[in-house]
Amino acid sequence: MLNAFRFMLYSELLLLWRRSQEWLYPVAFFVIIVSLFPLALSVDPTFLKKMLPGYLWIAALLASLLSIENSYATDVEDGNIEQLLLSQVPLSLFVLAKLCAQWIATELPLIILTPLLGLLFHLPANTILILCLSLLLGTPILTMVGSLGAALTLGLRQRGVLLGLLLLPLTIPVLIFGVSMVQQSQAGLSIVGPIVFLTGLLVLTLTVLPYPIAAALRVSLDE
Amino acid sequence: MIKNLTATRLACSYFGKIIFEHISFELMKGEILLVQGDNGSGKSSLLRILAGLSTPAFGNIFWQAESIHMHSWKYHEHLHYMSHQNGIKLGLSVVENIQLSKHLSLSPYALAVDEVLQILQLSIQRHTLAAYLSAGQKRRLALSKLFLFPKTLWILDEPLTALDMDFQAIFLDALETHLQHGGMAILSSHHLLHFKKAKAKILRLASC
Repeated sequence: MLNAFRFMLYSELLLLWRRSQEWLYPVAFFVIIVSLFPLALSVDPTFLKKMLPGYLWIAALLASLLSIENSYATDVEDGNIEQLLLSQVPLSLFVLAKLCAQWIATELPLIILTPLLGLLFHLPANTILILCLSLLLGTPILTMVGSLGAALTLGLRQRGVLLGLLLLPLTIPVLIFGVSMVQQSQAGLSIVGPIVFLTGLLVLTLTVLPYPIAAALRVSLDE
Repeated sequence: MIKNLTATRLACSYFGKIIFEHISFELMKGEILLVQGDNGSGKSSLLRILAGLSTPAFGNIFWQAESIHMHSWKYHEHLHYMSHQNGIKLGLSVVENIQLSKHLSLSPYALAVDEVLQILQLSIQRHTLAAYLSAGQKRRLALSKLFLFPKTLWILDEPLTALDMDFQAIFLDALETHLQHGGMAILSSHHLLHFKKAKAKILRLASC
């Protein structure tokens, strides 16, 4: 079973790597959005230092939404999902492998780029570190929740906007705790509270969500 | 235990329109069921239902006297299903595709990848991405599962489509051996199929 999981993860990563738009678009989108904020608002460094963590979070949220829409579309198109439904490996395990691959391909590059963007806006090293940590804990939750939306709306046409309407409200807790983690560290307060909360959410989504996602896929395919 | 598949009074509807109803049959080991019918008569829908992928509007399917919806895991352990879509990942190479289905089956009896490639005559293309294969080669790759590990029941939707004459013969040979070894098969096909020894049942779906 573990071997099967490892191979599914490997093949999903390989597929994502070979379709370069899957991981290039979100990163490019993220960088452009973040560099637009100072142009639209203010170039005052103290203002930016205070506001940038929030902007980065919103940009990461939008970038993750961009990549999630078509996550199961190819599997349905080539009929691979039927083979998975009939295979001896639980579908939820496949979902978990796919989401791990998706996170590594689309969210991890954002986190790696964050220090660079932070330096660009003169954020102190400590803030950058906390920001990266908050993204590291928060973005897997965004991928998981987004995937649930993608599985539920499978088979609908033009679901991009619908997905946004469905998912963005669900991501509010992640946004609140992710940003408050950075703000509290900037104000010199303890950040244990938001860390614990985000970690709790992460563990909850990682352990619980693969099952409803698998069930949603099953229902979507039962025509 | 007797391995058999029983379907009772199956019906299928699509947006309120009945596609077929009152389909009942029993399949014993060594038998093959040929599903025939015009385009749109519900052949693929019937096969999807028999594979347990869709729920019928009415009726039940039993595998060894157990409902396949209650015991789907047990049923799928014995089932090879192939639809119109080949179920292969176009972004993976031939070898990677075969390895993936090998890993997904969790079967300890799987044949070596090289042997399967030889049967499929895809040895030269082993590192080619599936996206660059011809339609017939993709079909062969999709059929690789049948050779990779043995399962009792084969449900195949138009398996001969896009295959050349040589490989059609290879496939039909394999099918016949499968039936002789006590296997079962359900096929939909527009081709006329003749079997030397195996007993073929024919199910004709009326056009609607």
